Amino acid sequence: MADEEKPEGAAPDRWDATQWHVVEKGETLSEISQKYYGDPSLYTKIFEANTDVLKSPDLINIGQKLRIP
Amino acid sequence: MNSKKYLIAILFVVSALFQAACSGNKDAATMAVNAAQESFNAVKGEATQYVPDQAKSVEDALKSAQDNLDKGDYGAALNSAKAIPDSVKELTTAIAAKKTELTTSFQGMSDGLPKMLDAVKKRLDILSASKKLPANLDKAKLEGAKSGYETAAKAWADAQSAFSGGNVAEAVAKATIVKDNAVEVMSTLGMKVPAAAAPKS
Repeated sequence: MADEEKPEGAAPDRWDATQWHVVEKGETLSEISQKYYGDPSLYTKIFEANTDVLKSPDLINIGQKLRIP
Repeated sequence: MNSKKYLIAILFVVSALFQAACSGNKDAATMAVNAAQESFNAVKGEATQYVPDQAKSVEDALKSAQDNLDKGDYGAALNSAKAIPDSVKELTTAIAAKKTELTTSFQGMSDGLPKMLDAVKKRLDILSASKKLPANLDKAKLEGAKSGYETAAKAWADAQSAFSGGNVAEAVAKATIVKDNAVEVMSTLGMKVPAAAAPKS
């Protein structure tokens, strides 16, 4: 599992290499996978990296910050 | 004793005294130059590595003292040599400060570089499994990124080895290569570079 987000007020980790994506209106995990990997079927990689915030790969919300491994 | 013989005796004594004085000056100068050389030799290796410009200054001063000694200018040789131990003391202080600076730098990078390498590895593994590559990437770029990652990973192992061996300057130099390679690979893959590693504008 990728690094957790730091609590508010904590100094940002300037070496943090986690790649983040903020969900936009109408986006699905497949589309996000297409954007970063060129392959929508790899959406499972994104889901697996975000099981702390995603209950299902079909349930993502606008503004959600997702880790992109 | 007649006056001529007396004069010769006086000249002989004066000459002997002069030679003794000169010999004393020569001995003192030789001892001082040798002592200065020894004090520098004790720190030369680290000085050359960590504070090369300062080390060169002291080495030049030593050479000047030696040159004066060789020319027979014992007074100048002695004066030059007497100043060198203090310069060597300053070198020792400068070496310690530089080592501390480099150690802090390396420790900072050792927190962050493994994170960068790990992020790159994960992305490369996923992209290698992808049926098609994202818009910003083609096969040649991906292969280049993989090669860049391998180079960075090896350089990181070398950097850690150098640091464990006490060679901090080399460790920092290699860690910087790792950082530069990792930044290039991340940029090729369209990944965001961590703030601490981003090139300064």
